[in-house]
Amino acid sequence: MKNLEELKMMREKVKKDLQLRAGEHRVKIVVGMGSCGIAAGARETMNEFLELIEKNKKTDIIVTASGCFGFCAQEPMIHVYVEDKKPVTYRNVDKVAAQEIFTNHILNDQIVEKYLFSKGKK
Amino acid sequence: MKNIADHLFDIFENSVNASADTVIIGISFSKGVFYCSITDNGIGITGEEVLDPFVTSRKTRRVGLGLPLLKKAAEDTGGYLKIRRLNRDGGTNLEFEMDMSHIDAKPFGDLPQTFADIYFAWPEIDLKLYITKNNKEEKVLDFHEIREKENLGLVNSIENRRRILNIMQKEVKTLNI
Repeated sequence: MKNLEELKMMREKVKKDLQLRAGEHRVKIVVGMGSCGIAAGARETMNEFLELIEKNKKTDIIVTASGCFGFCAQEPMIHVYVEDKKPVTYRNVDKVAAQEIFTNHILNDQIVEKYLFSKGKK
Repeated sequence: MKNIADHLFDIFENSVNASADTVIIGISFSKGVFYCSITDNGIGITGEEVLDPFVTSRKTRRVGLGLPLLKKAAEDTGGYLKIRRLNRDGGTNLEFEMDMSHIDAKPFGDLPQTFADIYFAWPEIDLKLYITKNNKEEKVLDFHEIREKENLGLVNSIENRRRILNIMQKEVKTLNI
């Protein structure tokens, strides 16, 4: 059995590793996964992005989840962080919207106005 | 929330928000009754006020519906939901039971997919899943072990997600869900 100190050190190390590995990316997509997001189908949205990433064989895009963004009526919402660019927030992102955002914004740098919620703010 | 799978995902998110890094889930399904217990090492609750929809720790909005909705869903079938603090330092245990043969029971939804989604959404959390079959408890998933086996590379790789999905589909099938 390892002692507590050792365990704590291990935990710190693993945490660092995780950050490091999760850190190598060009684009980060954050999906709002509060109760409101989940009820509105945010899991489907997340899975659609994952499938699109796989289909397009992209390795520099990561998808993560966060809590409620505070605008429950417009869920599912996502933040898109592209390296060196201001973050963009989209609302009502269902499967179809996810596909449009992926092709236009993430692959071709064109903001999709139709689902746009805000630009430049976190 | 359309189904139990959505609710599970939602409760898991509560644990993550309570800064837990380990979550232990136990499930069983026998004679039409679904039982689920979720234990985390987060900051813990202070009382049963979390079951009040107008109480929330969040700052973005003033109502919290996740737990009250699940409580209602459980009680509608003649089941229950209990939540308690584990000890002074924190930690939370939540249990609920639902009679799935009840006419008001929500459908299960895609449980295997839920666990794969959890793995992807929160790569830093260690989830351990125990399933009880024929009075025997068995560990079927351990995210920590799965990550340990993997050397450097993407933490939440799509292959791992598939692996989890496969394991879960097999397990859930044997539960007759």
